[in-house]
Amino acid sequence: MTHPTPAQTGITPGETAEQHAHFEARIARGEKIEAGDWMPAEYRRQLIRMISQHAHSEVVGMLPEGEWITRAPSLRRKTILMAKVQDEAGHGQYLYHAAETLGATREDMLQALLSGKAKYSSIFNYPTHSWADVGMIGWLVDGAAIKNQTMLAGCSYGPYSRAMVRICSEETFHHKQGKEMIVAYAQGTPQQRAMAQDALNRWWWPAMMMLGPHDADSPNSGVLTRWGIKLKSNDEVRQEFINEHVPELLEAGLTIPDPDLHQDEHGNWRHGPIHWDEFWAVIRGEQGLNKERLGARQAAHDDGAWVRDALQAYTDRQRAVAAD
Amino acid sequence: MTQPQYPSSDTQWPRWEVFKQDAPNRPHQAVGSVHAGDPQHALLTARNVFVRRPAAVSLWCVREDDILTATPEELTTNFALLDTPGEAGTYHVGVKRTNKRSMTFVDLSGTVQASGSGDALRQAQVMHPDVLAWMVFPETAVVRTDEDPGTVESWFAPAKDKTYKQQQHYGVIGRHVGELKRAGLMPGRAASEEGA
Repeated sequence: MTHPTPAQTGITPGETAEQHAHFEARIARGEKIEAGDWMPAEYRRQLIRMISQHAHSEVVGMLPEGEWITRAPSLRRKTILMAKVQDEAGHGQYLYHAAETLGATREDMLQALLSGKAKYSSIFNYPTHSWADVGMIGWLVDGAAIKNQTMLAGCSYGPYSRAMVRICSEETFHHKQGKEMIVAYAQGTPQQRAMAQDALNRWWWPAMMMLGPHDADSPNSGVLTRWGIKLKSNDEVRQEFINEHVPELLEAGLTIPDPDLHQDEHGNWRHGPIHWDEFWAVIRGEQGLNKERLGARQAAHDDGAWVRDALQAYTDRQRAVAAD
Repeated sequence: MTQPQYPSSDTQWPRWEVFKQDAPNRPHQAVGSVHAGDPQHALLTARNVFVRRPAAVSLWCVREDDILTATPEELTTNFALLDTPGEAGTYHVGVKRTNKRSMTFVDLSGTVQASGSGDALRQAQVMHPDVLAWMVFPETAVVRTDEDPGTVESWFAPAKDKTYKQQQHYGVIGRHVGELKRAGLMPGRAASEEGA
């Protein structure tokens, strides 16, 4: 017979029922947990896992779009894309900060990303084939991310919640610039329309999948929900995403690549079956650009070593001067 | 204070808490942190990370080691925080007043004269008994951007012209979202978080 693990019960040996009751009562009252407060070890572990994965996703998320900066079709589009990619770097920083308040170190988190130990969102392992992908990522991928992040902005851990509020306010620009771009192409020349449709065909399902497995297959959801980290289930967030985006995509004159998609009697848009085998294969790095993304991240890390060395040398010199 | 030694470029620099002031006569607010080797590096990184949008006139950075933070719950189990040593002098006091949805932690609310960090925390607790967290740090630990108009202009004005970063810059399609919300198909914020 096997005993339930802390991941299932939330209780780590050494923690008392009273501590847990007090903690859960605070969350039930809508209080935010701050770094110095008592928290279950499993709460801390789950948050570090989630927040660092989230941070890695922001950092790796710069890569598929960054490739297109030099090929932007106009100066306006280029400045927008540069600002967006710069935002993603900033969002990674906000999130690493939130994880650091829980005792994780920046060095360990970066190492976990580069070694492949830590995961990031599967969506960034898909290739960007055309310029329209930049717009479609903004509209669908950032649109899905905002749905998830708006939920997390209400989560029980103060530093994570605050990072999410800041990110959501900036991310709305990412969503809108993508929507604006795709709507323009959808109303443009036949070639532009075809480019927008092709991008939708390739990004629709990955965007649906990035909101996570169905509730029945989501192993961490139990304690995450109980402790106010996840306020909505994956399927609820996905439904909100679909309800918001389907009418707009149709209004733009595009065809959604799901023959089973329909609106039910309550007004909810219902999607056809999702191919989760692909999702898990991409997560495991067997499919998609996982190796290329980590290679690019490692190269950026290595190529930046001289900057870090120079800053360190300056710091050491200042200290030596001050000590004289 | 002791300076740790870093053997290679792959080891993190000290963490600095960043305080941003959005407008004159507004309090500096704790927005997050950056890693940096020296004060100037900290301020530049803080600007790049936290001022990519308008609304900043001043930035402060304070080394994490120089900051003492406590929540009421922490003080019920760890009284020793009130005995934390430190230099005598002027201390800044920050407080967190609400659990509402926010992108900042504490607002700086003034200064006290204290014999050390623990004493400053004790005074902060007396002055603000009903808040959700206190933060104190000595004035001598603060590095800040200059307040002269030239510095404010060159550090913070460029973000103002980049209107394409504002969502208002883009037109709205899909008025249906409001209709969906009214129909209950697009739940907004939980009621407990309204009004933040």
